[in-house]
Formats: sequence, structure tokens, C-alpha cells
Amino acid sequence: MNKLLKKFLFLDIIKGLLITFKTIFTHPVTIRYPKEKKEPEEGFRGRHAFVRDPETCKERCVACTKCAQVCPSQCIYIDFSLNVETGARVLTKYEIDALRCIFCGYCEEVCPVNAIVLTEFYEYASYDRKTNYFNKEALLKNWDEFINQYKGNEYVNKFWYLPGINRMRLPVGKRQPKPVPLKKFNAGRD
Amino acid sequence: MGQLEIEKLTETRFVLQMGPHHPATHGVLKLYTEFEGERVLKIVPDVGYLHRGIEKLAESKTYPSAMTLTDRLDYISSMTNNIGYCLAVERLMGIEPPPRAKFIRTMVAELTRLSSHLLWLATHALDIGAMTVFLYAFREREQILDFFEKICGARLTVSYPRIGGVRVDINEKVLDEIYKFTEIMLKRVDEYEGLLTENRIWISRTKGVGVVSSEEALSLGLTGPALRGSGVYYDIRKLIPYDAYPEVDFEVPLGENGDTYDRYLCRIKEMRQSTLIIKQCIEKIPEGDILTEQAPDIDIPHQGKRQISAGDSLWSGFIQFVDKKTELMPPGEIYSAIEAPKGELGFYIISDGSGRPYRMRVRAPSFIHISAIPKLCEGHLLADVIAIIGTLDIVMGEADR
Repeated sequence: MNKLLKKFLFLDIIKGLLITFKTIFTHPVTIRYPKEKKEPEEGFRGRHAFVRDPETCKERCVACTKCAQVCPSQCIYIDFSLNVETGARVLTKYEIDALRCIFCGYCEEVCPVNAIVLTEFYEYASYDRKTNYFNKEALLKNWDEFINQYKGNEYVNKFWYLPGINRMRLPVGKRQPKPVPLKKFNAGRD
Repeated sequence: MGQLEIEKLTETRFVLQMGPHHPATHGVLKLYTEFEGERVLKIVPDVGYLHRGIEKLAESKTYPSAMTLTDRLDYISSMTNNIGYCLAVERLMGIEPPPRAKFIRTMVAELTRLSSHLLWLATHALDIGAMTVFLYAFREREQILDFFEKICGARLTVSYPRIGGVRVDINEKVLDEIYKFTEIMLKRVDEYEGLLTENRIWISRTKGVGVVSSEEALSLGLTGPALRGSGVYYDIRKLIPYDAYPEVDFEVPLGENGDTYDRYLCRIKEMRQSTLIIKQCIEKIPEGDILTEQAPDIDIPHQGKRQISAGDSLWSGFIQFVDKKTELMPPGEIYSAIEAPKGELGFYIISDGSGRPYRMRVRAPSFIHISAIPKLCEGHLLADVIAIIGTLDIVMGEADR
């Protein structure tokens, strides 16, 4: 009897309609993308960049080729020559095919000198494939572009020093979070 | 008279090639269907349109690198895929993550289950004709993806767990936010239920559709909510506990009739249980390390070094190379399964001692669920086929691999 009454009074439908009616009084959760932008969270894995060292104004890479070894999609190409006097490696070619990259963040995790980074910059779609094939200069340019829009005095990436992991597992240079000072870097460039 | 003529005409079999780009087939599933009138006579699923060769590809990657491939199996619940793979390798190596990592893994796995079930509810309801639930479910899913972004920096292809633990720690602020979200989520699930559970259109579209008895479901190899909807108590979280599941308290919801409506109720109840598990995990999470000492580095080599032994010559500088290589992983084989949102997700790994899996086989629930479509669709209408595809919760990335 009760069921029949419910059916005649359309209570089930009204119950649903009340829920949808209530949302009239709530704020919309959507954002109008090109006008409003969502700030990416700290540690977001976006476009690649080479950290421009504040002291030398150059890349930090020491051509250890560890990133090319761990890359699951094998999209990093490195070439280097040896400095005859010091025996140190000199980076001659560093290319990342961002279209093949899967943004796992293994390269920045394994880098012993915090040279490569996946920045929190995500708007880099292009009409041609060349634009997203980064060489050394393009990677440094990416860093400048990212840092100009970055708010804050120093930049440190979460995957550089991996919070929570036993410090002794990491290479010596990465055991303490070493932020990149930005003000000093800007002054140095001028 | 006209009525009779139409009935005569429809006696001929009508063949419909549904898919692979049909929006209701949830990906690139193709169904070869034969109809008599509007009744289904025969259905032959055709899979393989999304084949990427992940199992073969894993053989050329080191163990940590192969984990990133598992993100792409079931791309809407990548966290559980990663956990399943890492758990298999951990069991192969005989290591165990520390307690904090276990709780974090359990928490993110349940968040993934929530997001996967929300997407299922959204698309399943949309297929049947309820538009509003679609929008509401995506609202909450967006919040869960935001949490993933805060935890690990990616929204879908997370690559967050790591062999022997997790990659980065979660800070307390994010845990507080997730805790607040769980309280909202319980109310939201009530909202979805208010829209659908008693709705007469929903009931008439789902009750008695795609009925599968418990014996049939077992023989078809269904797992997860699709099996529990038929009333079979089978949940790997309870039967073969992994991570922190033995330490949290939860129920396994069961259905009775094994129809689409029961499976829907089952998943809704599971969403509530998941929310409660997340709550308990945050309350009980201990302090400490997130990676074991024995965990392999992410830059382990493809192959071990060749063993060197001292020669029997009197010359002290003489060494002898042995053909054998040092073992990076214990050789052997293992099958380990976890309870993914879709069902039992198993990884079968054969190791030959090198840094790469010799063979990686994935037991994907979606692939096995697709084989149940012909059985479930027996004697149903064309519109019910869509409901049945929805209720089995199929993701083609996992089925074709």
C-alpha cells in the first residue's frame, strides 16, 4: 500500500529533483580555463628544463648519463667529450624528445647534481613536433620562462631530495634540500 | 495488418557491428551482434584495438622502469596497478615495505577505488540516461585527482609506489585535506543514491538485467564487484591480505540476485567502505621510513656483473672470469594478485636473476569480464547490452594491454 502511494505521488522522482534543485544555491566548481588558470601543485611534473646555475649561469649537467639509463621511454639523448687536461666530461649534446616522454620523473630523481627538472609549467602545446624537441639551449630557455612566472624566492623540487626517504640512500649532493636561490640568479644575469 | 507484416520482416537476422568507436562501449571494444527483432541472438566481442604490447615491452625494461608501463594498463586506476606490480616484485625479492608506506599505499589505493567507481557510476548512469549523476561524480573525482597531484605531482599516470615502499612522503596538510574530503564524500554518496537508487526509471532499466548466478559467475571467472553482486564472498583484501588491509576494519558488501541493480548497490556500498578505510588509514598512520633498506635503486642495471674468482695460479694478479653473472634479483617465478577496483589484478613474473623481468604476464579483470558479455546478454534487448557493458566496468587499456 505504502509502495503504491509512493508511486502515485512520484516521491522517488521528487527526491532526486530536490537534490538537483539544491545545487542552484551552490557555487560552480568549474573554472573558465583560458581566463582563469589553476595553479599547479608543488612538485607537478610538467615541462622539462635545465637548471641554470646561479653562479655560472650555465647548466649543471655533468654528463653522467644516468638519466638516459633510467628513462623508461628512452627519450633522452646525450653526447659528451672529455676535457684532456682535467679529465672531466664536457656535455656536447643533450636532447629530450618531450613528445615521447611519459613524465615519470625518474630522470630528476636519479640526477646526482639536480640539473634536470620537470617544472610546474604545463602550457606548451605546439603545432609542430620540432617545438617540443628540446636541446640544451631550449631546456635552459624553458627554465628561464618557468622561473620568470614563479612566485617565491627559491626553488626546490620535491623529487630532488625525496622527503621521507633515508638520506643515506641518496647521492651526497642530494641529502640536504638545496634550493636554487632566484634573486641572486636574477641579479647575476643583469 | 501492418503490424503483422512488420513482425514477419523482422524474422530475418539483423547483424550489427557495434564499435569499435561506439561511445557506449567505453573504449575501443567491438561487438559483433546478431538480432532477431530487438532481441539479442548472438554476441561476439572483438578485442585488440588498443594493443600496445606492454607485456613484451616489460621484458626490455628494468624492474623499476617496467612499473611505469603498468600505469597505462587500467588508466583510470593507475595507483592500484602500480601497487600490484610492486607487490609482486616485493614478494619475489622477499622484502616488505615499512608500516608507514603500507598505510600510505592502502590509502591511495582506496582513493583510486573511489575515483574508479565514480567514473564507473558517471558513465554507467550516462549510458542508461541519467545525466546529472555524471556531472556530480566528476566533481568529486576532480578532487581526488587533485589529491594525487598534491601527493606525487601527476593526476593520472602517477608512478607513485616504488618497489619496497613509496617514492615521496605525504605531508600532514594533505592528509588533513583528505580527511576533510572523506566526510564530504559520505554525504555525496548519499546524494548519488538519492538520485538513482529509488528512481523508477533506473530500477526498470537495471533490475533483472544481466542476471548471473553465483555458480555461473564463478565459472565465467568474474571477480571484484561483478562477482560480489552475485553473492560470492571473494575479496583479496580479506582473503589474501596485503599492505595495511589486515589492520583496518571494513566490510565486504554482497549482492543477492546478481543483476545490474545489485552490482550497482554493491559498488555504492564499496565506495562508502573505501571512504571509511581512508579515514582509518589517516587516523592510524605511523611515523617512520617510507622505503626499506633492501629496496632496489631505480637505476639498477639490466644485467649483473660477471663474477670474478681468484685463479689457481701462483701469480697474485691473475683473476678468472666465470661465465655466470651476479644475481640482481632472486631467480624464480611468482603470481601475486591484488583487489583492483575492477576485480582481481594479478601479475605473474618470471625472474632469471637479471635486472629485467624474463616474463611479465598480467591477469587483467577487464579482459575476463569481456568474455562474460555474451552470457549476460542472452535474450536481452539492444538497450540492455549497453547497460551490461557498463555494469561489468570494462577498461580497454587493461583488456588489450
